[in-house]
Amino acid sequence: MELKDKIEKHLLDVQKPSRYIGGEVGSVTKDKSKIDVRFAFCFPDTYDIGMSHLGMKILYSLTNERENYWCERCFAPSEDFEAIMRENDIPLYALESLAPIRDFDIIGFTLQYELSYANILNMLDLAGLPVFAADRGDELTNIVIAGGPCVCNPEPLADFFDIFVLGEGEEVNLELMDLYWEMKQQGATKTEFLRKACHIEGIYVPRFYSFVYKEDGTIDHLVVSDGAPEVIRKRIIKDFDSVYYPENFVVPFTEIVHDRVSVEVLRGCIRGCRFCQAGFIYRPFREKHTETICRETKALCENTGYDEVSLASLSTSDHSEIDPMLTELINYTAAERINLSLPSLRVDNFSESLLEKIKKVRKSGLTFAAEGGTQRLRDVINKNVSEEEIMNTCTIAFKGGYSAVKLYFMMGLPTETDEDIVGIADLANRIIDLFYSIEDRPKGRGVQISISCATFVPKPFTPFQFEPQDTREMIEHKQKLLLDSVKTKKIKVSYHDPNVSQLEVILAKGDRRLCKAIYTAWKKGCKFDSWEEYFHFDKWMEAFNECGIDTSFYANRRFEYDEILPWDHLDYLVSKEFFVRENKTAHKSVTTPNCRLRCSGCGVNKKVGRECFAESKSNV
Amino acid sequence: MLRVRATFKKTGRAKYISHLDLNRCMLRTFRRSGLPIWYTEGFNPHPYYAFALALSLGFESECEILDFNITDDNMSMEEIRDRLNAVMPEGMGIISVAVQEQKITAIAKAEYSFSLVADDADKLMEDINRLISGDEILIEKKTKKGIKTVDIKPDMEVISCEKGEGSVNIVMRLPAGTQTNYNPTLFVEALKNSGAQPFEAEKFVRRAILCEDDSIFK
Repeated sequence: MELKDKIEKHLLDVQKPSRYIGGEVGSVTKDKSKIDVRFAFCFPDTYDIGMSHLGMKILYSLTNERENYWCERCFAPSEDFEAIMRENDIPLYALESLAPIRDFDIIGFTLQYELSYANILNMLDLAGLPVFAADRGDELTNIVIAGGPCVCNPEPLADFFDIFVLGEGEEVNLELMDLYWEMKQQGATKTEFLRKACHIEGIYVPRFYSFVYKEDGTIDHLVVSDGAPEVIRKRIIKDFDSVYYPENFVVPFTEIVHDRVSVEVLRGCIRGCRFCQAGFIYRPFREKHTETICRETKALCENTGYDEVSLASLSTSDHSEIDPMLTELINYTAAERINLSLPSLRVDNFSESLLEKIKKVRKSGLTFAAEGGTQRLRDVINKNVSEEEIMNTCTIAFKGGYSAVKLYFMMGLPTETDEDIVGIADLANRIIDLFYSIEDRPKGRGVQISISCATFVPKPFTPFQFEPQDTREMIEHKQKLLLDSVKTKKIKVSYHDPNVSQLEVILAKGDRRLCKAIYTAWKKGCKFDSWEEYFHFDKWMEAFNECGIDTSFYANRRFEYDEILPWDHLDYLVSKEFFVRENKTAHKSVTTPNCRLRCSGCGVNKKVGRECFAESKSNV
Repeated sequence: MLRVRATFKKTGRAKYISHLDLNRCMLRTFRRSGLPIWYTEGFNPHPYYAFALALSLGFESECEILDFNITDDNMSMEEIRDRLNAVMPEGMGIISVAVQEQKITAIAKAEYSFSLVADDADKLMEDINRLISGDEILIEKKTKKGIKTVDIKPDMEVISCEKGEGSVNIVMRLPAGTQTNYNPTLFVEALKNSGAQPFEAEKFVRRAILCEDDSIFK
């Protein structure tokens, strides 16, 4: 029986079957016999989540532009379908050809969040492949690679992968595939291929590196073999305005998380919030011209038929042409009855006429990522949101008919005291007072403040990479304090499970010794850890225990400035000296201005070989 | 304004598109086609279109009905058909487009074909004949008020029932439309409950949407 028939035999027994059979508008089908290299783009979570991922859309279309390469999609099946697959010997397959991914040349995963790591092992296993790279043989096939933000510290997954791709994939992916095809024709082995591949900038082959540890558990030194480079530098697209952007997306039948056209307007971030990994690993700041953004929006809307478009970036308001760009976009979307969504947009310094237009298209609520409860703490984390700004925007919003405000905070930030926690409740109270002090506030309903608290997770390649995470006891104390400080029903408090954040920090800051533990946890049944109903903290802790891993070594220990970090051999353009300097500045509660205002010397410009902003020096 | 009725097929992989998803899918198909479809004129204008009957997930169809309005009176039916077909998902396609003739309430029944696969098709054939020739075929139907026992026999028309290779292939007509809707799976359930040979039902296809006098709904 063909695999397709086998799949179809069971498809009506599972939830949302259209996720497992492909055939969506915009999906690319090719003649297998004319293909030289087959690439399975795997997202280690379900279809609904993975299909929302912009990076996959870009690399999918880009690869498929090449006639002799075929990129297909693959997702983790939900529990119901996984059971059927295992029971009926249906191996993990790609959605375009419905062929098993174990027949593919390159199997690429995107590492978007740490809690998806166990899913990767599960997917490899479902594919019928050994999960450890060392067990997959030396034939040049099934090269298992990974890219995405978490690759900036890939050590906890090093034993499972052949290659990690650092940085932006638009160029390096094709270079890697070109090399693969060249060497495949020559009859090379996997090792021979990897020895050559590691000299492509951005390609990290973990098997050529091994760590020697000190007695206290920290890294003594790194041993590099096979002539691989000492340091691996991430890739960036220098000319961002003319980088490839798809004119079409795969349009799913079933509803997905971000079910709309997404247009990337800028990469990198000028803000330098000290907790934010994305703010550093995607540097330098680059933007697309208004004309490019509008052209891409129009093409995607016409080709997909979506009636909603959203702008993707870390901070859209920092685009230098934000006013003309939004004006032009709104003119187009309004005429075509397309809904333009503008997530996390600061509206403080827009022109009156634009503000009017935005009001018409904007449906989302009022949200502030204040992150810290007091100005002192916001200075520590370099989150340049002042209380005055929050109050000003709230005033405008309340007058405009809003009566609900969402505030995001983090708990367990460096230098945080009880005062900062109480400060969260105080800030919310002052917003309530503000609401009732406004004459023309919305009548007939009260104000509602929602406080959402996440536990701070220190991440590699941030100034806070050295910081310990609060222990469970400390977080529980702070959560209780916050609840006790809130004395009105107008304020609602919710927070994340601190166990999840603890696992996150271990996996984020971990080293190669964790591979065994991830394997053990998966063997114990861990998967879909980002889904509350599947998260089994006890199983993870058992796994760490059995592998002799002291989790507090990674989670609750301060990493020294002069310590060799597990990710020190990876070069994300921002220098370690800068992170040390920023860490020290943070502990003095001093802020660092944004990159456009003044260059803070993170080192990116020197390595890229040009200034990030033409005007950055004259502004000092 | 043109009041248009399109007949479309939903076959192959498209049978896994649920009715809810089909709605969204059709909206995007209209947008891709660029056809001047009429929007409602309320507070929240949206393109107006309606499906005559819902189709069960997993069923194929050769006769689904979709009504919508086109604001350009001079557009030919052929152009509407071709522009939609150019942007339809795999497995779906417009068979014909015409001006709406009858009201939706004229729909009275639908014709379905399906196969019952069994190791012993002869025995199954006997079981089916026994059920069909009986006085009544009682099924339990979920209604808003709870589970109701209904006799589908008076409303069920067996058009053909033939033995194939390891299967029995059935064509039957069942009430459909705004009043009563019977799904052929109800008959399959009744057959299972009658103690018939073990079998598996597959290849459900809606073949026609009909009026009371058995004419094709237009």
